[in-house]
Amino acid sequence: MSDISTEKYVAEARRGIADPVLRRSLASLQERFGRGTAAAYLQLPEGPDLRVTAHAIREKAVAHLDVLLETLAATIRRNGGHVFFAATAKDAVDYCLEVARRNQVRLVVKGKSMVTEEIGLNPALAAAGIEAVETDLGEYIIQLAGEKPSHIIAPAIHKTRNEVADLFAAKLGIRRTTSPPELTQAARKALREKFLTADMGTSGVNMACAESGHITTVSNEGNIRMATTLPRVHVAFMGMERIVARLDEYEIILRLLCRGASVQTIGTYVSFVGGPRQQGDSDGPEEFHLVVVDNGRSRILADPQFREMLCCIRCAACLNICPVYGKIGGHAYGFAYSGPVGAVVTPLLTGVNRAKDLCRGETLCGACKDACSMDIDLPRMLLALREKLAYGDAAWQVEPASRIEGLAYRGWSWLIRRRTVYEMALKLAATGQRLLPRAGAMIRRLPPPIHGWTQSRDLHPLAEQTFMERWRKRKAPSNARVNSEWAKKNPTGEPGSEGCGGGEGLGDEDGRRG
Amino acid sequence: MKTAAEDRFFRRLRTALGHAPDLSRDATQLFAQGPSADELQMLDRIDGRSAADRRRLLERLIEAGTPINLRVVPVFDPAAAREGIAAVVAEKRPEWGEAKSVAAWRHPLIDRLGLEGALARRQVPLRITDPIAPGAGAGRECDRAQRDRQRAAVIASFIGVTGADFCLAETATLVLRNRPGQPRSVALVPSIHIAVITLDQVLADMKELFALLRWAERFRPEGLSNYMSLISGPSKTADIEATMVHGAHGPREVHLFVITG
Repeated sequence: MSDISTEKYVAEARRGIADPVLRRSLASLQERFGRGTAAAYLQLPEGPDLRVTAHAIREKAVAHLDVLLETLAATIRRNGGHVFFAATAKDAVDYCLEVARRNQVRLVVKGKSMVTEEIGLNPALAAAGIEAVETDLGEYIIQLAGEKPSHIIAPAIHKTRNEVADLFAAKLGIRRTTSPPELTQAARKALREKFLTADMGTSGVNMACAESGHITTVSNEGNIRMATTLPRVHVAFMGMERIVARLDEYEIILRLLCRGASVQTIGTYVSFVGGPRQQGDSDGPEEFHLVVVDNGRSRILADPQFREMLCCIRCAACLNICPVYGKIGGHAYGFAYSGPVGAVVTPLLTGVNRAKDLCRGETLCGACKDACSMDIDLPRMLLALREKLAYGDAAWQVEPASRIEGLAYRGWSWLIRRRTVYEMALKLAATGQRLLPRAGAMIRRLPPPIHGWTQSRDLHPLAEQTFMERWRKRKAPSNARVNSEWAKKNPTGEPGSEGCGGGEGLGDEDGRRG
Repeated sequence: MKTAAEDRFFRRLRTALGHAPDLSRDATQLFAQGPSADELQMLDRIDGRSAADRRRLLERLIEAGTPINLRVVPVFDPAAAREGIAAVVAEKRPEWGEAKSVAAWRHPLIDRLGLEGALARRQVPLRITDPIAPGAGAGRECDRAQRDRQRAAVIASFIGVTGADFCLAETATLVLRNRPGQPRSVALVPSIHIAVITLDQVLADMKELFALLRWAERFRPEGLSNYMSLISGPSKTADIEATMVHGAHGPREVHLFVITG
């Protein structure tokens, strides 16, 4: 298993927020991609509802995962490829090491793949004495810098051109330059040597198609095509859920992937790999291996609350819109997957308690759901995780993160179902709040253990009189007037239902008028 | 080969699926038994395309190619394509080293161009990638030696010339299926990729492509082949401060000659 540092979320998030350079990069990333993706969905001939269609396609695929994977494996094997089903990260890594050992591999060129980050392939190759070079420019930069990706699609978004200039001058021995074209050219030259001499290439899988029997990879740089064309052996890793049944369905997913990931109508290179080189071919790998990784996914599949997460295609559109990711950056999430997708999938893959701050750090604003190319309800799952953290959950081995919080909510739930007790409590609180320090009309600080609430904002005090008290005090004729006006505007609504929900605000306005 | 570990993998998977009983498992809907009404209509539309329709597709292709730096050059006949390619060869400088050489597919359309003579006049060698002859019989070069020689020739070339199976106008996408004599590296390793197609190979979009590959009798047997690449313009990256740079790892330029006839 790769490094997991989800426990450091709060500290790392603070560090991210304090970094002005990172904040600027993230703001510009979100400005362009966040807005651009929304506009790109609108421009689809089918409109943004294509995401709903895509969701149904993915749900159907997930529901038939066994049939689809068997169909894919049978076709690839018929074409001379190998397929290995890995239950755990270790199984997947060990299989790859065994293939490398059998082929006397010394140098591996890697196409960008988050699942290889998830299973910790790089450290395992290094431990076996095999050099593994990341070839996506962003991944290459952070590998040279000894860091980890901070974005699924733009892994080096946290690096400035000045930092890259220093890094390349030191590690590649080139004249220092801050020009992106010159820096790109330097990497192109250095990596071309690696591509031409590597014995093995690895890649992820953006999506497989069961009907045609291919895995597909999408890239703009061409590095994945190089890594899967020139070396003698190609090993592709895929999360077991990354498959659709048919090509017409694939077409829809691909269009949304490219728009969600980078506001493109299509990535520069989309490659369909169905097996190794065939008789008479002059290039392509002699050996092709597909490693299908479970590593905790079957547990997600088994839980109806979370299996929707398996519809995810890791396009990273949610990162490009999330207000939390946009401030703290990707490193805080402490695992391969950052942003809203990371906040849901990381706890599920690595342990809910370990990664509890990830799902608690999100705002539930719902922007990720609107941006999601597969229309996945991430906020719903964030809430479901928080519920598990509040009350514990045996099936997911979740300990209640805070017994007090759980108790408090149980108490609250008990309280609001008892009218008279509730009103007494309100009275008590309205009196008690006078003791709290104020800033103008607002409450400045709450006492422990709820002082965190007012750490960065003031709290509106409870009204002197509750809404219900005012309501009762109003004269009968004006009551009737309000009721009849309400009924005119909302012919089917029930007067009074509004009163319960919007209590305080309504009461205030009412008070001023009266 | 199926192993015990694989059985366990699928048992766990099926148990997980069983734990979510509201999943609909209507496998009859999973794979298509034949073309849908939409697809049939698409196939008819492709077959019934007039010369004017094709011209319009070409205009769309040129329009889609512009923002992604794909140079689309409509030419009347193979001779004009040859001259256009020769001009690129003359004008551009090699990226790695000094000597110019060009690699080209063994492909019916490329063969018709007569590139060899045109490049010989400019003292630029042309390496044709012939299919690898099977076996290592007496006096015959063995597979590996043939392949190594071809690989070296492709690596040494600064321009690679290929055909394509189709081109999708909507996204300016070249579709290359794998065949002996038509290695994928020719469109990938040289710094400049030149593709040559005829106008009737231009399709509207990927939906049409998949309809043809799945259901048209003349394309169905080969299907997607064991390796199909979709190429939309030159290689690019925006990984350093989101600045767009062309020529990350693949070709930095792509020129597409469309023979309109």
